[in-house]
Amino acid sequence: MNGRFGSFGGCYAPETLIATLSELTAAWQQHRGARAFQQELQQLLATFAGRPTPLQHAKNLSRDLGCELWLKREDLLHTGAHKLNNALGQCLLAKTMGKRRVIAETGAGQHGVATAAACAALELECVVYMGTVDAERQRPNVLRMELLGAHVERVEAGQRTLKDAVNAALRDWAGDPLGTHYCLGSALGPHPFPSMVADFQSVIGREAREQMQGLPDVVVACVGGGSNAIGIFSAYLDERGVELVGVEAGGRGPGPGEHAARFAGGAPGMLHGTRTYLLQDAEGQILPTHSVSAGLDYPAVGPQHAELRELGRVTYTSAGDDEAVQAFETLAREEGIIPALESAHALAWVLREKEQLAGRRVLLNLSGRGDKDLETIAGIRRARVQR
Amino acid sequence: MNRLEGRTLALKRAGRRALAPFVMAGDGGLETTLAVLRALDRPEVACVELGLPFSDPIADGPVLQAAADRALGSGTSFEGVLGLVRELRRPGTRGSGLPLAIMSYANPLFVRGIERTCRLLAEAGADALLVPDLPLEEAAELRQAALAAGLCPIFFVSATTTAARAAQAIQASRGFVYAIGRFGVTGASPDPNDSAQEFLQRTRALAGELPLAVGFGIGSASAVRAALREADLAIVGSALVERIQRTHGDAAAKAQAADSFIQELAQGIA
Repeated sequence: MNGRFGSFGGCYAPETLIATLSELTAAWQQHRGARAFQQELQQLLATFAGRPTPLQHAKNLSRDLGCELWLKREDLLHTGAHKLNNALGQCLLAKTMGKRRVIAETGAGQHGVATAAACAALELECVVYMGTVDAERQRPNVLRMELLGAHVERVEAGQRTLKDAVNAALRDWAGDPLGTHYCLGSALGPHPFPSMVADFQSVIGREAREQMQGLPDVVVACVGGGSNAIGIFSAYLDERGVELVGVEAGGRGPGPGEHAARFAGGAPGMLHGTRTYLLQDAEGQILPTHSVSAGLDYPAVGPQHAELRELGRVTYTSAGDDEAVQAFETLAREEGIIPALESAHALAWVLREKEQLAGRRVLLNLSGRGDKDLETIAGIRRARVQR
Repeated sequence: MNRLEGRTLALKRAGRRALAPFVMAGDGGLETTLAVLRALDRPEVACVELGLPFSDPIADGPVLQAAADRALGSGTSFEGVLGLVRELRRPGTRGSGLPLAIMSYANPLFVRGIERTCRLLAEAGADALLVPDLPLEEAAELRQAALAAGLCPIFFVSATTTAARAAQAIQASRGFVYAIGRFGVTGASPDPNDSAQEFLQRTRALAGELPLAVGFGIGSASAVRAALREADLAIVGSALVERIQRTHGDAAAKAQAADSFIQELAQGIA
């Protein structure tokens, strides 16, 4: 395994981190198949995280839309999103490697909360980097992290969102590459992260496939870095008859800085240790991004997604802020589930493509719950009333 | 053998140590950078590292991050930097023979194709290329393009680099090899790391004829002295960038500040 996905992926990291990344790759290779590690991880996933998560037939929406809509309920996982699958895997690995300190970046706060919880359970010190813009719009998650014993380091640089939190975490790691593990939250970054994170998230697809009678016609997931998407897609990549759809954040529109749709407005380049599709200008400078959902608000997509798109195996599209908010409200009203704004992007695509989906079996990864987004939604509803 | 390699090897053979200051292109405007580069053309300076600003410099501390932001904010472009280098090379002007290494993150170099980028840099008058987020395994294409264009490729070693890997980095480098003197990101550090000396001794032995530069955390004459116990070149980045930025006044005033700071640091050269 060299960390390449076609011409994407790789390991574009500073020299100070190379030995640590190699050590991490070796440890992951050694433990991923080892019985002791797997038993402990399965135990944590079952008793701490609450796996398996249910697969639910969304009856009301299915009736309204004229399709068969199934929801993989990762929103019911402990800490509220799929992020815990990866955080537990990595933190257990870090502990096995003898690391005492874990750092993480977070956008929406879900990965930060998951890492903080995993560290509390595994008795590891935890520091989470979060842009101040995100810390403001996801305030409940900041409090959660602090209650779980993590230190939240607010990042003032750049656009003060997820990208800047990743920069800060990478810099921290270079300062203590031997004692600290960087628990990267998505299928991004230098090798081995994209493969390792996908591995820890593949439990989503494996379970869904076991739980569902027969194959779906379509699997859809939102794509920020792309860890929930690769987690559910992984079980169906070899099933050519299953259509796979990734939904990026269309934000306010197609202009530069208005969205985070890397496949619509981006080009290949290197950022944060990997070669993938990036939102960048003609000079190779990284462009600002926007999305109503902090978790999708990032200029790069996971390198495996870049390859899957190039191979034509997955179709990538986007949903805008307004569509996502509508889908958020629709799911709450129709099914009694308040989804994360990230996951609402996947549902927005289903609502928009109602006609082509009629009569088909659609599996949607409901990657997280929306408690963290209530303030954002309240603000949008207030603005709507005033308009 | 180009200008930079000629200079660093000649110094090494003569057993002389020197400084390798870093400046951010376009910080304070390209005119300021030009004036600073000219001021740095001094006998104690072996070569200058000229940083191309990048929006997300993951190996840099707060001082160089802010410098990159200022440079980008004032509209510094790749074309602008090429113009700066061409201007520096104008025959008969001070600095026209100053060896110049370009330091850039990978993305701004690869965005227009690495061969084209290397050719443009070499044609403008640059001598070497360092890319902190391009480790050896990912650098074959860049190294080939740099050598074909007549640029020295320069690679990094750190305290965590294995001996075998350090030997590869040395083998792949021309002009000098860059030793990262301590963990962390760029920026002056109050306490030079003791274990760094052992790492530098090891690297120096491996480097043989190739000059050894050490950077990260060097910002005073005493830090220069400590660094040059084992290294041939001491790289001073953040401290110089900060000194220039804090000096109020025009390009000439900032160049004057750079000049006097280099003289101060040069006291650390034995």
